[in-house]
Amino acid sequence: MEQKNVVEIADFIARYLSYMLGAGVHTSRVVRNSKRLGDALGVDVSIHTSQKTATLTVMDRVGHVKDTRVLDIPVFPISFEWNADLSALSWAAYDRNMTLDEVKTKFEELVSKPKMNPVFVLFMASLANASFCRLFGGDIWAMLITFAATMIGFFTRQHLARRHVNHYIVFIVSAFVASICASTALTLGLDSAEIALATSVLYLVPGVPLINGVIDITDGHIQIGISRLVNALMLIVCIAIGMSGTLMLVKDSLL
Amino acid sequence: MAAYNAATWPWQLAFMAVAAVLTLILFFRPCTWAKIAMKVYMVAVSLWTAFVYYMKFGSGREYSSVLTIFWCMMAAAWMYDLVTHFSTFQKNRRYLPWGIVMLLLPLAYPLISVSRGLEFPCMTTPMIPSAIAMYMLGMLVTFSGRINFFALIFIFQWSVIALSKIVLFDIPEDLLLAVSCLPAMFIFFRDAVRSGEEDKKPSQRTITILIFFIMALIGACVAIQYV
Repeated sequence: MEQKNVVEIADFIARYLSYMLGAGVHTSRVVRNSKRLGDALGVDVSIHTSQKTATLTVMDRVGHVKDTRVLDIPVFPISFEWNADLSALSWAAYDRNMTLDEVKTKFEELVSKPKMNPVFVLFMASLANASFCRLFGGDIWAMLITFAATMIGFFTRQHLARRHVNHYIVFIVSAFVASICASTALTLGLDSAEIALATSVLYLVPGVPLINGVIDITDGHIQIGISRLVNALMLIVCIAIGMSGTLMLVKDSLL
Repeated sequence: MAAYNAATWPWQLAFMAVAAVLTLILFFRPCTWAKIAMKVYMVAVSLWTAFVYYMKFGSGREYSSVLTIFWCMMAAAWMYDLVTHFSTFQKNRRYLPWGIVMLLLPLAYPLISVSRGLEFPCMTTPMIPSAIAMYMLGMLVTFSGRINFFALIFIFQWSVIALSKIVLFDIPEDLLLAVSCLPAMFIFFRDAVRSGEEDKKPSQRTITILIFFIMALIGACVAIQYV
């Protein structure tokens, strides 16, 4: 295989794995899929990942021609759709012996699918939190207040994120706004007012980084696993700071 | 409420007069200074509710500080709008009749109280929090060229509290805000979806149906609770 071909394949796999890592796919899956894709295109792939960058080496089967590069991992919204589609692409390339051009075309098609409408996400996140409130024992009023409080908090989060405000600050402010609005349930004397208060910030919980961190560690990707867990922990601390602000203002204590 | 009305009625009249003048100017001779003045008024009236209604006269109630903070956040939403010049206060002919009715509805609060046999000062006035929220909503509907969504969602939160007050504390006046806010939420978010990018999913029609369904569901839940 010629150097030019290896470079072209490396270019594509670099893009492929950066999209997968950026969209919140756990490391071993990214590595496995990239290797499978390399296998389908006739090259061996080695990958080292960290929180913000990845190192990729692509070489032909005899090991004469190599290409190594360090790439930045872009930040995308977490996408289970990309996760599933791009994994399926690696299998399709492997099973159907697709050429590089065919795989590239299919990849472009998958990543340019329409994104979620922010208004839809706003309403669904609010509904989800109201449902959590019900699951934890909240009554209809607590659910309604949680719905509205989540809406305010989530809208604040979307607005600040669009303005590229530091995401730790976004989490603190959103948690504070949502919890202070939910705390209005206390004024109604509801039995489940505290459930509304507690569930109003659940939309902020970084579930995907937490799960990925654990999976990465159990799969042996200790460094990136710890990085992801620390990142998730920082976000949880930010939620705690926002909620603590509300509790100190409203109840004069954290309990 | 009685102490609030008895002590502040001249101030309340002054606030109502300013609101009437600014609304008429925005309606018949819209100009930049009137738009800025209206936003300043919104900040002032929110802070009035926070500090005078809840902090001074409502301090006897449990957790009144929560509502003080809530109305401070409402003031912050309008302050942010004032700084960023986001909402335009442009008349929207499509919702004009409905908007005018909503602007007049705060005046119905004392009438409902009178019809319930209440007398001044133990009655609702257009300067109680729900009536103020109603006026703000009326302004958003009448002048909905580009609206302050933060304020809209805060008003929605307030209307949810109002809905629960109708059932829990039997305050029927609050029905006005609740009944107006649910359709307002629907039309504003529907318009936001329609004016957004088209290459998003799900389709605009699906989201519109979802929003309608959620607002109808909230209304139905409250109706069932009330009955």
